[in-house]
Amino acid sequence: MSDGPKKTINKITKGFAKHGYICSDQISTAVYLASELEKPILIEGPPGVGKTELANTAAMYFKKELVRLQCYEGLDESKALYEWRYGKQLLYTQILKEQMQEVLEGAKGLKESLGRLMKFEDIFFSEDFLETRPLLKALTSEKGTVLLIDEVDKSDEEFEALLLEILSEFQISIPELGVREAKVKPLVMLTSNNSREIGDALKRRCLHLYIPFPDAKLERQIVQARVPEISESMQIQLVNFVQGIRELDLKKQPAISETIDWAKTLILLNSEELEAKLAEETLKILLKHQQDIEVVKKEIPALISNATETSDGKSIN
Amino acid sequence: MEKVLTDFVKALRNSNVRVSPAETLDAMSVIDEIGYDDRDLLKRSLSIVLPKTPHEKEKFETCFDDFFADEIKEQVPISLKELKDIDDVESDLAKNLLQGSQAELMIAIADAAEAAEIREIRYFTQRSVFTRRILEKMGVGKLEDELMQIGSAREEDLPSDLEQELRNQLTGLRERVSDYVQQQFLLHGDVSGEQLREQVFKTMNMAQIDRSYLHEVHSLVRRMAKKLANLHSRRKKNFRRGKLDIRKTLRENWVNQGVLFNLSWAYKKVDRPKIYVICDVSGSVGAYARFMLMFLFSLTEVVSKLRAFVFSSNLGEVTDEFKDSNLDVAIETALQKHGGGSTDYGQALTDFVSLCIDEIDKKTTVVILGDARNNFGPEKAHLMKVINERSKQVFWLNPEGKYRWDTGDSVMTTYSAYCTKVFQCGNIEQLERVISTLLKTAI
Repeated sequence: MSDGPKKTINKITKGFAKHGYICSDQISTAVYLASELEKPILIEGPPGVGKTELANTAAMYFKKELVRLQCYEGLDESKALYEWRYGKQLLYTQILKEQMQEVLEGAKGLKESLGRLMKFEDIFFSEDFLETRPLLKALTSEKGTVLLIDEVDKSDEEFEALLLEILSEFQISIPELGVREAKVKPLVMLTSNNSREIGDALKRRCLHLYIPFPDAKLERQIVQARVPEISESMQIQLVNFVQGIRELDLKKQPAISETIDWAKTLILLNSEELEAKLAEETLKILLKHQQDIEVVKKEIPALISNATETSDGKSIN
Repeated sequence: MEKVLTDFVKALRNSNVRVSPAETLDAMSVIDEIGYDDRDLLKRSLSIVLPKTPHEKEKFETCFDDFFADEIKEQVPISLKELKDIDDVESDLAKNLLQGSQAELMIAIADAAEAAEIREIRYFTQRSVFTRRILEKMGVGKLEDELMQIGSAREEDLPSDLEQELRNQLTGLRERVSDYVQQQFLLHGDVSGEQLREQVFKTMNMAQIDRSYLHEVHSLVRRMAKKLANLHSRRKKNFRRGKLDIRKTLRENWVNQGVLFNLSWAYKKVDRPKIYVICDVSGSVGAYARFMLMFLFSLTEVVSKLRAFVFSSNLGEVTDEFKDSNLDVAIETALQKHGGGSTDYGQALTDFVSLCIDEIDKKTTVVILGDARNNFGPEKAHLMKVINERSKQVFWLNPEGKYRWDTGDSVMTTYSAYCTKVFQCGNIEQLERVISTLLKTAI
């Protein structure tokens, strides 16, 4: 690396911004370390803060293919790693029977037949019959990939154990074929919503990045990048409003993705100012629980006056 | 420089951040990559490698700031040329202070600290004790005596340059020793005091824990419950039917010329425990009721198929309240609605049986929390028998010590005849053991 780490990190921040992903220093440092140390990153955080999007953007930034594996309960190696093509294998055994006659023709005695059979190439368990699944595909790719293992907390513990070999050694053992090593080590990102505790063994092998809800400044930048047509005063009010909501005691706090959706809605409705009535009507986009909506409804006037006050008081950055 | 990192890791471990040796190595390679120069970058990078939960990250922040606090204060510079009578001082410490170099003084502090057994420091309250001990070992007493002598011997009002200088140096020394102790405390002590608190809470009788600590105890109980539930909830059972595992079948039948003779099944069935908890919240267990409810609340958070009931005389279900609201609200409503009255186990059992005896099957575990003090009312033990026969197992958790069972109006033996197991559950350690047994066998 000719550049200092700081320069590279700044480059990553800028490069990501070009693809519409505004990241904090923490995030770009994590991406930098992951690519330098060739270690996987485990990304945790509340839903909707851009965990999956980070992997998408990283793939675009490093100009590598994104291989995605969505985890769910019951996911096993035949869906994640590789699978044999049974149909073809069965056909092969049929053909083999017929071919056997030709091969063994004229052979005298058991020994000679066996000798001829031994010369025969065994292709029953070979690459030809191997169906690659995401994990194997990410390892065997010539150009290198960004491998996204999404919502790893939804998978079973057995699957987690399966990941260990891939994540620490970048290799997969296939019993019939031996060990397959990565040609180019992929950049691996795992995301988790913490619906269950990830095992220590897996955590130990990963860098750990926690993405919290963004602060007002960062969120404004994100809204600006994602919804550029929004007016400045509206954008400030909107972000302050959402930040205010996050301080209330809610079942599910609105995430960045919801802020963006809300901003888009307000643009669509051609509104220039955040008004109480409008906010109340469009609250559904921001909040997903009826209970939460009722809690926030009561607070709307206070929230709006707060949001406009602070926006008058200080301009952005 | 490696020493700095390993010391820092040690300090982290002391503040309850788990760091494995492999992670230390990772941190080492991170530092190779970015260097020590940029403090912010260093902090950000290490916070990606070392702490692995949001909770640990918070601790990491404070620990990093404490550990890499500004360098030790510079020794107060000595204006030697003004001191003509520098050789007049007698005590070793005074000589050392006036003439010795920085390094010599640091070594002297370290030696004295060793002699004062600084490694034994555990709690933050011990810091001043150790500071004083180290200063004593260094001979501050003698120096002070000498200062007194100089002071009383002088004729003019103003202290001499030498005296002034010595006093300044002494103040500087005190600060440095106290900094040193702080650093050592980070390395060896129980920084947050958490370990101590947890230990105390764990073995203390639940009724005696002050209510203001309720939340800390709750987080302890919840962590425990979550850990145990994680450990036990995903056990799988083998099944002889279901989805065919084609790959395995094919591989195993290759020996039969590819004729699918022995079938293999992709057996996977996650069996989750089904638990019914009945909790006594009457006056006699008033002090325990809060903790019982807390335990109940923690369980509803981690076990999905759980129904919770509370009673003092009549029984009511509180599952929904516990699922939807937070701890305080849930416990308060439960106590308000059902708590405080006089106990009637007979009535409670009758209510329970009429409410949900049909749902109890051979996969169900029934847990009863209470002291079995029935106010000499009808016991209706036959209902316990019914519950016992229909369910997989019945556990009884009694907060009272065993020696008090069957005294007065307690009818523990009558009921325990129909229980699979009876536990004494008066403190959190016992509770942990009970939850573990519960989850292990409830599946």
